[in-house]
Amino acid sequence: MTASPEAAGTIYDIGFRHYDGPRLGRRGAIAAIVGAGVRAVFGFGRSGRAKILPWGAVVLAMLPAGVAVAIRVLVGDLVELYNYENYLWGIGALLPIFVAAQAPELVVNDMRHHVLPLYFSRPLSRLDYVAAKLAALALGLLSLTLGPVLLLFLGRILAADDVVVGIGDEVAALPAIVGSGLLHAAVLASIGLAISSLAGRRAYAAGAVLAVFLVGGVVSGILAEQGGALLDVAPFTNPLAVLDGVREWLFGGRVADSPVGSSSVPPPLYAVAALLLTAASWTTLALRYRSVTT
Amino acid sequence: MALISTRALTKRYPGGITALDGLSVDIEEGIVGLVGANGAGKSTLIKILLGLVPASDGEARVFGLDAATHGSAIRELVGYMPEHDSLPTDVSATEFVSHMARVSGLPAGAARERTADVLRHVGLYEERYRPIGGYSTGMKQRVKLAQALVHDPRILFLDEPTNGLDPAGRDEMLGLIERIGRDFGMTAIVASHLLGEIERVADWLVAIDAGRLLHTAALSSFTERTGQLLVETEEAGDPLAAALAARGIEAHADGRSVVIELAATRDGDHAVYDAVRDESVALGLPLVRIEHRRHRLEDLFRVAEAAAEGADDRVA
Repeated sequence: MTASPEAAGTIYDIGFRHYDGPRLGRRGAIAAIVGAGVRAVFGFGRSGRAKILPWGAVVLAMLPAGVAVAIRVLVGDLVELYNYENYLWGIGALLPIFVAAQAPELVVNDMRHHVLPLYFSRPLSRLDYVAAKLAALALGLLSLTLGPVLLLFLGRILAADDVVVGIGDEVAALPAIVGSGLLHAAVLASIGLAISSLAGRRAYAAGAVLAVFLVGGVVSGILAEQGGALLDVAPFTNPLAVLDGVREWLFGGRVADSPVGSSSVPPPLYAVAALLLTAASWTTLALRYRSVTT
Repeated sequence: MALISTRALTKRYPGGITALDGLSVDIEEGIVGLVGANGAGKSTLIKILLGLVPASDGEARVFGLDAATHGSAIRELVGYMPEHDSLPTDVSATEFVSHMARVSGLPAGAARERTADVLRHVGLYEERYRPIGGYSTGMKQRVKLAQALVHDPRILFLDEPTNGLDPAGRDEMLGLIERIGRDFGMTAIVASHLLGEIERVADWLVAIDAGRLLHTAALSSFTERTGQLLVETEEAGDPLAAALAARGIEAHADGRSVVIELAATRDGDHAVYDAVRDESVALGLPLVRIEHRRHRLEDLFRVAEAAAEGADDRVA
């Protein structure tokens, strides 16, 4: 320090100013937490290292869209690796990794360093805090579950011989694209945040999130290999397969390599499973934050 | 109407601990010292007023609003500095305080400006851009104070604000609190188990003991004259005491001092001063000083302790 605090004080001290501007209350509080949360998810305002994983995942998730568009431009629609239906299943591995890395970022340190009393002594409730963090993670996840598919959508329009015809061909898929993106983002954010809220450290939280998805996926694969009645159970141990089931039920379009394809359960059951998963996550979050002593 | 008022406020924690036991108190503007031993219920009272924990019974009002149902409206206009560590480690003070200003409801621009202001007021300069994890305890306490101040609250709740500070740090923190009350015109509720600190900054005192109100009054009334005059001499005080007693003044020697009961003197204080002068001249007694005896805050708790011990004795 070059100047002593006293010297700086005499130069700059213009006295305490009172604030009589607008106070945005609860809505302002929630918006602030969502905004800061989204920034944290993408590592803004953090070190460069904090940006590697989220941005790496975003770039990797965009790649297939770029490749698909390039193939379309070069050889037409003879080969179609990625379409609107199978895109999210195709980049499925990236989703748990993104959630595992970024969900703990949002909740673990506030809990670990006892920052919550400072939040809860402001004009918002405990549930508002949780909802804001959920929204931040879900918004961040849209960069994987919606952004790349929208890129594919735009690419296909621009790759068409006539853009107007291209728009006509593709626009019918838009509700399914947006719907699936929102569905995946909301459910995965809920699961990831609920697991993270139970962990004492970011690394443990990340490990736990990864483990849940990994174990779920492996069990699902083993069950599917057994064949028979187990084929019907297989999708339900893997959250990503459940989401694919809901997507197919709502918007149609079967994904060949998803366990949903080889299962014969009534499609609405996937929606029930997704709802149960989400409800369990929210209950976990509500109980966890209610029990925080301030 | 009082800024803060509680009626028969009771808090029982699961496990049978009673933190507050029918506390009724009105608190007005100013710097208010909330004193009591550790576990007396100071933190619990603050948390109920903030709406952070629900009361088991009774009522708490802040700005005339029920803390149980209007917590959010109350919390918009109060600041809270908790007793324990409550700061993240990986963000800078600037980033954190400005975020907290926005969570208090301030728009982004105002949050930024006021953060710069308030960090300067609490005495954080170049270091405010570094991650909080590397701060000293004193700097962390300043950040905690800054986040409680940044949205210009009407009431500040400071729970043991000098916790963990060295003597110089305590001094600076108390100076800051004094400034907040006097220059910023904010009401500050300062919870502390250290009477000396309260004596220094507070102008009103709320003393609680075992969840009950022990006493509440202006601090000046605690430290006001006791009605006793203390005459300190260089030699034994007995001859002077005897001489004064002969004149009908109630006085007794206490080592090298003479304690005179002014209240018991019919002729008024001036007659006593004259008598002290005349008699000490007559005795050739060198005087060190003459002063009015004042109460001290410790007396309050000594009385309470004595009463409690008396009660214990009776039980035993």
